[in-house]
Amino acid sequence: MSHREKIDIDYLARVEGETSIRVELARQSAIELKIFEPPRFFEGFLVGRNYDEVGDIVSRICGICPVSHMTTAIQAIEKAMGITVSQQTVILREIMVISQIVASHLVHLYMFAMPDYHSRSGFVEMLPDTPKAARRLLKMKEVMNELTGLIGGRALHPVTHLPGGFTHICPAANFSAMAKKLRNIRRDAAGVVEDIASLEFPDFHSDSEYVALDSQSHYAVNEGAIVSSRGLRISVDEYRGYFEESQVPYAFAKKSAIKGRPSFMVGALARANIKFSKLHDEAKALAGKAGVTFPCDNPFYNNLAQALEIVNGIERCIELIESNVFKDEDRHVRLHSGEGGSVTEAPRGLLYHWYRIDRQGVVEKADIVTPTSHNFLNIEKDLKKLVKENSDRKRAEIIALCEKLVRAYDPCFSCSVH
Amino acid sequence: MFNPRNPRFKNMKRMKPRIAVFKYSCCAGCEFQLIFFQKHLLETLKAVDVVYCKMLKSGGVEAGPFDVALIEGAITEEWQASQLKKIREASRYLIPIGSCAVCGGIPAIKNSTDELDVEKRVYADTAFLHSVTAAPIDHYVKVDGYVKGCPMGERDLDELVISLLLGKKPVFLEYCVCVECKLRGAICVLVAYGEPCMGPVTNAGCGALCPVNNRACYSCWGPMRDANAKALADQFLKMGLRKEDIFRKFTEFGQPTDEFKPGALT
Repeated sequence: MSHREKIDIDYLARVEGETSIRVELARQSAIELKIFEPPRFFEGFLVGRNYDEVGDIVSRICGICPVSHMTTAIQAIEKAMGITVSQQTVILREIMVISQIVASHLVHLYMFAMPDYHSRSGFVEMLPDTPKAARRLLKMKEVMNELTGLIGGRALHPVTHLPGGFTHICPAANFSAMAKKLRNIRRDAAGVVEDIASLEFPDFHSDSEYVALDSQSHYAVNEGAIVSSRGLRISVDEYRGYFEESQVPYAFAKKSAIKGRPSFMVGALARANIKFSKLHDEAKALAGKAGVTFPCDNPFYNNLAQALEIVNGIERCIELIESNVFKDEDRHVRLHSGEGGSVTEAPRGLLYHWYRIDRQGVVEKADIVTPTSHNFLNIEKDLKKLVKENSDRKRAEIIALCEKLVRAYDPCFSCSVH
Repeated sequence: MFNPRNPRFKNMKRMKPRIAVFKYSCCAGCEFQLIFFQKHLLETLKAVDVVYCKMLKSGGVEAGPFDVALIEGAITEEWQASQLKKIREASRYLIPIGSCAVCGGIPAIKNSTDELDVEKRVYADTAFLHSVTAAPIDHYVKVDGYVKGCPMGERDLDELVISLLLGKKPVFLEYCVCVECKLRGAICVLVAYGEPCMGPVTNAGCGALCPVNNRACYSCWGPMRDANAKALADQFLKMGLRKEDIFRKFTEFGQPTDEFKPGALT
């Protein structure tokens, strides 16, 4: 094939949101992830909104990780206004965020990523090959959505979660029934790891810096320090001193970088690389059985890391539900001006929200950086290397590989143009 | 509404209904709601033919014809409006799904502020942007019904799919959240606790989700038809809410709607 040839993938299907990919084979520097999903200006129109509307509004940044946006925003607003919450609220938030991470990983693995490995155009077309996998997906997804809804009132765009805590706690009996359901899908979770480990991941190695939240005690999702595989260790308050964003003409999403460094990766693989030792023993054992070791420098293995997080997440939820009794509590909120930020682990990686609130409780300034902005430069870097290493292959194969790589990152383009 | 005898489509072969899903400016949550359709997913996929849905599969027929086009998201750029008009031509029924498509939803909050001011807060260089005022789908094309909610409600989605398969007219709820609150025997958070609840003007379908969870409705389902927004806004004033608080309540969902305008302008 001609080396001056261009490859345009007009519309990348089976991802959240809208993007196309342009590859100019002669000049590998001309790889562009053209995120054409229209910008939605959340940081623009949040200015002037009330502090207690922000969680409800930002959950609508993303239909697959609404709990992450909501939780991160609420934690940031609490920091800005000096609101403290109960230990119970901290635990319920962790369960809710994990339930959504597991549900999101399930959708991504079975509906978005796996059809690539079966050479099918989609999940429906793949069904005849994998009827068991479909049932497993639906069964597990239902339980995880139910868990989000148990705490949030609704799985998609929860309603009970406000600054200061939760408006309603469901009866203890519902939690114990849920623990039973979670125990019931443990074996399915192990099956997910087997399903994913049996896929033939392309042999590809990426020289990347991995960034994740890390805390002493556990596989943290809502708190901890921002830690990288190349020596960065900062507190959440220091985020803006280290991370900067730039705008490019071909995408409505901004590119994030750590000042003075080329690019980095966030998400399940980054988390597993940074804090594998803190995964539940069951997840570690399954990783051993699958024959994979972390740190791992193959971005396609992000899918396997997601599968391990499904096991880890279900175990953690069982643990937290069975060791706590949740009761209705009062929320204590008073108006106070201030500014503050929060970082959490969304399904796709590090998510940052920051707000400045005035004395009336109204937002003066908002700053949001999503996982896909964090990954943007690294995806392009990996695409370049992948195309270079496979440039002698047929055009269709190169296209398939590029799509597979971008999907492995589990990007969310809707989030990225928030 | 659902009229199979519409002469424009009389030559279309009767087979599995061909469904297309298009996404404009939104969170894609309605599409997630759709592709999961909870327990009904597998049986539904046997009964209908999803011919275009980018999140579900690669390829697909973008040009139609479609029996039903489901549209999620608000229109915020002009290319979306021109594509939407083509979809209308190619579709027997066109249904907006979810608040963004039905009443502007969250993307339309920006309409309350000068467009350039909003853009400048987000992008240093605004020259490459071409956003327009966010509008619901029926601002640009005729629609054949609404599946309301944020995310769209399962009850209305069930009703839509069943009606399609039976060839009957779907019945969507056209009353306010208060009715559902009473049906569930929930305590009125507006009267009993003095919470500024949007239930009296918000379309039903959620099952009074917020009041039963001990908080005021924030109108994510968008306005009920013929809602008396002015009366509720006056009540909020009496309760001591400031005008800017009332404005925010009536512009969080449904900013572009005629129903909520009198409330927002109070």
